[in-house]
Amino acid sequence: MNDVIRRSVHYLAAVGDSLYFLGSVFGHIVRGRVRFVEVVKQVYEQGVQSISIIALTSLASGVVLALQGYVALTRFGAKDAIAPLVALSLVREMSPVFTALIFSGKAGARITAELGTMNVSDQMLATRTMGVDPVEFLVVPRLLACLIVLPILTLISELIGIAGGYLVAVYEANIPGVFYLNQTLKVIHYVDFFSGFIKVFFFAVLIGWICCYQGFVTNGGSLGVGKFTTKAVAYSYIFVIISNTILTKIILTFWG
Amino acid sequence: MIEISHVTKTFNGQRVLDDVSLTIKDGEIFVILGESGAGKSVLLKHMVGLLKPDRGQIRLDQRDVTPLTEKEWLALRKTMGYLFQEGALYDFMNVFENIAFPLEEHTSLTHEQITKKVRDILQLIGLQGVEQKYPAELSGGMKKRVALARAIILDSRILFCDEPTSGLDPIRSRDISDLIRNVTRKLHCTTIITSHDIANSFRIADRLVIIKDGKVAALGTQAELKVSPDQFIQAFIG
Ligand SMILES: Nc1ncnc2c1ncn2[C@@H]1O[C@H](COP(=O)(O)OP(=O)(O)OP(=O)(O)O)[C@@H](O)[C@H]1O
Ligand SMILES: [Mg+2]
Repeated sequence: MNDVIRRSVHYLAAVGDSLYFLGSVFGHIVRGRVRFVEVVKQVYEQGVQSISIIALTSLASGVVLALQGYVALTRFGAKDAIAPLVALSLVREMSPVFTALIFSGKAGARITAELGTMNVSDQMLATRTMGVDPVEFLVVPRLLACLIVLPILTLISELIGIAGGYLVAVYEANIPGVFYLNQTLKVIHYVDFFSGFIKVFFFAVLIGWICCYQGFVTNGGSLGVGKFTTKAVAYSYIFVIISNTILTKIILTFWG
Repeated sequence: MIEISHVTKTFNGQRVLDDVSLTIKDGEIFVILGESGAGKSVLLKHMVGLLKPDRGQIRLDQRDVTPLTEKEWLALRKTMGYLFQEGALYDFMNVFENIAFPLEEHTSLTHEQITKKVRDILQLIGLQGVEQKYPAELSGGMKKRVALARAIILDSRILFCDEPTSGLDPIRSRDISDLIRNVTRKLHCTTIITSHDIANSFRIADRLVIIKDGKVAALGTQAELKVSPDQFIQAFIG
């Protein structure tokens, strides 16, 4: 019993600490203490690192969606509905979630491992001894870059996914390409796009927050770096998937 | 002047510093000796606010710095240089960028002026032609010298060196010790060094303290320590 209480207190303290951490990061951003050169570097690194795997998975998702959709819709004699199926699935749900998950595993893990390594090799402390705030210099650029990169990657993922669906529609289902594209453009409304991007923005904050925080509190040498990095990625997955469920319900309730 | 009075620090029930009191005078080279794990690095970190004492007080130039916030410490540390035991250079910057970092942050020098200062200091520490290398491509001793360069580039008022000579060959240890002494005299700064290296400590120290089990076991000039009747001290300084 005592142990349960101690662990709960420990857990609550960690949650409080991480909230304080997020607050101080946004405090820096609000007060304009942002190093733009560092942000650009991080945007480049995170983007370049994730783009190819996201392109590949998005293409595959679009293809699979269209293939399965073709089979299912043909049974109802509605194979023309492939385009709306692919487009809406991708924009409303699959691209935001898949991109966020892949991004956690690539860019998120990198953030935690980098910050964690700096922690265990005293680079964080050294930053402080040189009179520089490590949150401003090392954390803010990484978190801001997440907010910039993830939406862009999601947009790319949507475009490539739709291209994958197009290939199947044209070459498998013999649907005219122009018709497919017209349908796609017609079916995606602002609200679909918008509901996807509310999620994306939320995931970006979550991933940036979790991964930066775990790196920032890493201790215990190289073993610790491994442990905290794994933890950061696992937490990111869990929180993305759970918050997606909740957000989907909220968005459907308010906007349909 | 750095006055440490009755500083006590406990980590997870282990008392690392136990009622440590000592005063470091302006302009002197002060060496903290002690066995591995005695608490030398912990004591040094207290003087720059990286650790806060559980009890006791630290005063810098009469000012009580114990209750300062991290923000106030950040400003204060611009006048200090700190050499970490393992160097703690930024992995993602090359040697030039590492050494130039404090200048970029806290001065308004032009790129040419910074380049010149970095070149000069690399010559001083006997490392030329490595500007473009990354820390991972350097030996342990080279990293340490680059880290020393980074610590002294801002002409600090107080210089902290955590084991500046460990991991260096004997000749290089001697050179680095002399370099630290020369820098101290030239900048008129106060230098605090932790070390295991008795010979070089005696070469350059004005005063020394020996820490044992978190307590001050001996404090004084080299001559004073040498005539100490204490067996541990005699064994320690050989
Ligand atoms: N952040 C910390 N958390 C817990 N224990 C610590 C921490 N820092 C130091 N210690 C403990 O304090 C003791 C003194 O450590 P310190 O690093 O000051 O030794 P040292 O005298 O510098 O030794 P060395 O000569 O090997 O560098 C060690 O037993 C160490 O385990
Ligand atoms: Mg030490």
